[in-house]
Amino acid sequence: MSKFKKYLDDLIEHKGTEMELIEKGIVNLTDVPNILTLRQLTRITLSHNKLSVLPAGIADLVNLEILTLFNNHLQELPITMSSLPKLRILNLGVNRLSSLPRGFGAFPVLEVLDLTYNNLDEKSLPANFFCLETLRGLFLSDNDFQGLPPEIGKLKNLQILVLRENDLISLPKEIGNLTRLRELHIQGNRLTVLPPELGNLDLVGTKQVFKGENNPWVPPIADQFQIGASHVFDYIRSDTYKYLYGRHVAAGSPPPPITNDKSKKISRKV
Amino acid sequence: MSSNYRHGEGEWSMYSSHTVSPPIIRLGSVSAQRNNPLLQRRLQQHNGLEAGGHPMVTPETDQQTDSGNMVLGGNACARCGQGFRKDEEMVNSSGQVWHVHCFVCAQCFQTFPEGIFYEFDGRKYCEHDFNVLFAPCCNKCGEFIIGRVIKAMHASWHPNCFLCELCTAPLAESGFIKNAGRALCHECNAKEKARGINKYICHKCHSLIEEGHIKYRGEPYHPYHFNCTSCGVELTVEAREKTGELYCLRCHDKMGIPICGACRRPVEDRVVHALGKAWHPEHFVCSKCEKPFLGSRHYEKRGLAYCETHYHQLFGNICYVCNSIIVGDVFSALNKSWCVDHFTCSCCDRKMNQKTKFFEVDLKPVCKGCYERFPGELKKRLKKAYDQTQKK
Repeated sequence: MSKFKKYLDDLIEHKGTEMELIEKGIVNLTDVPNILTLRQLTRITLSHNKLSVLPAGIADLVNLEILTLFNNHLQELPITMSSLPKLRILNLGVNRLSSLPRGFGAFPVLEVLDLTYNNLDEKSLPANFFCLETLRGLFLSDNDFQGLPPEIGKLKNLQILVLRENDLISLPKEIGNLTRLRELHIQGNRLTVLPPELGNLDLVGTKQVFKGENNPWVPPIADQFQIGASHVFDYIRSDTYKYLYGRHVAAGSPPPPITNDKSKKISRKV
Repeated sequence: MSSNYRHGEGEWSMYSSHTVSPPIIRLGSVSAQRNNPLLQRRLQQHNGLEAGGHPMVTPETDQQTDSGNMVLGGNACARCGQGFRKDEEMVNSSGQVWHVHCFVCAQCFQTFPEGIFYEFDGRKYCEHDFNVLFAPCCNKCGEFIIGRVIKAMHASWHPNCFLCELCTAPLAESGFIKNAGRALCHECNAKEKARGINKYICHKCHSLIEEGHIKYRGEPYHPYHFNCTSCGVELTVEAREKTGELYCLRCHDKMGIPICGACRRPVEDRVVHALGKAWHPEHFVCSKCEKPFLGSRHYEKRGLAYCETHYHQLFGNICYVCNSIIVGDVFSALNKSWCVDHFTCSCCDRKMNQKTKFFEVDLKPVCKGCYERFPGELKKRLKKAYDQTQKK
């Protein structure tokens, strides 16, 4: 469409490396002429548009470092995308993704991945997802995860893990391997217990964040929560808790029901 | 180096190459003056008196009268100042006269044995007292030296007493060489030198140090001449000098020598002082990567030192966006830090500054414009959760 022509001409003329097209009603990237030829681009912001697909040619933008697609209508992503060699920050928040393409975990230098407010669950992650070892921040709030694959422990550089308002029933013990983790958000899930291995991590210092409200915690954990997060960590490190946790897992009691009502999520619209 | 000190007729003489100014010592001897006819006659008178009691009037007494004790021609005894009786014997020596009983040693007041006296500074001494008072003593045998004196090695010697300390060859004629405080003949000195190449001579006992010397105030010594200043043990080659005192290695290591904070061994050469400890430069390392700082900047935190990279990595001030150390001003919010230029809305990536109002969603900054475009039901949930935490 010619309405972006002047903007693009300016960008090309000045050899600009940053493109920002926010809330322009863009439905398809073909509306933005020649965008896929602008190899010099390091930053593209397309927030608050109506994109439902991305062209495979997006992978040609080999200098792209930051790609922001917040609040679009994306339902799927091109497989080629994960080859972007310099992409460090990818924001796909508030879209309609129900799955990630095969090979999505191949980004060589991806550091921050924001998938907040989509329709993802543990089954929709590709096999190589947890190969993203360069990942510093993983934002999965407002999705449909009922569990996390144990491979999460491979994300050695993860500092921030956000799982607010999913349907998590349990956390894998491998979460205790994320030694660099300094933020863990798990509020609004169906968690009753925490793996004792979580006690390996220091998440209650002044530089750390642990958010665990609105979960159906077993009474001992709920009691500790009343006093403070640091008491929860002291408790889950105790032998008493390890015993209780073992019995709880062995009992195999049915998970609490799903309480989050997601019917009104706009990500559900197709 | 040596001087002759001749005992002869007439004057003592001193031939010296030394700077000592020679005292003027004059030897007088009655017998030595027998060539003088006048004195000879006087001696005869003297002797005659003792022998036969026939005194003779000497020519000098010509002016004496028979009037007894009168002073003859102004002649008075050089010692007591009294005159002479008419026929009294007198002693005449170098232009002065004495009563016989006044012509005595200035030290012992005895007559001179065999008439031999020594004169010094206008006074006359018998041989014994002169030697006692003025003659040099041999440094070897301790006897007085009459005649030739060898002055060497800051002492005096009889020519026959000044010998090579190693082979006892006489040195008076051949000369000597000073070797480590010893007087040696040329031959022995050459041998010593050959033996002592690359070896030290002990500054205390002056013998060769066969193996293992210690240096004290710049001079080599056998270690066993010393004891540790601290514990008193006899020293070995491992002894160390500190502030002008000698210590055994054990005591030295315990005293004020910095101990490396890493390897716990003493730091003898270059020392780094940091974190209240001393370190070998190569042992002062980043607590994270263990690379030595070697003079580059280090950062301290909770008693540990870090290189710049790891300090920032561990203790913040790494930009959330560029993941690099923040140079210059830092935006700190939501448990994160940003470079001033990298502080953007997490949803639209638009730059924000310290005046921009923003919302917090999952501890990410969201500008007002983006937050307003959030799905309504999400905003409701976020608000509910926010109110819940505020109630607490």
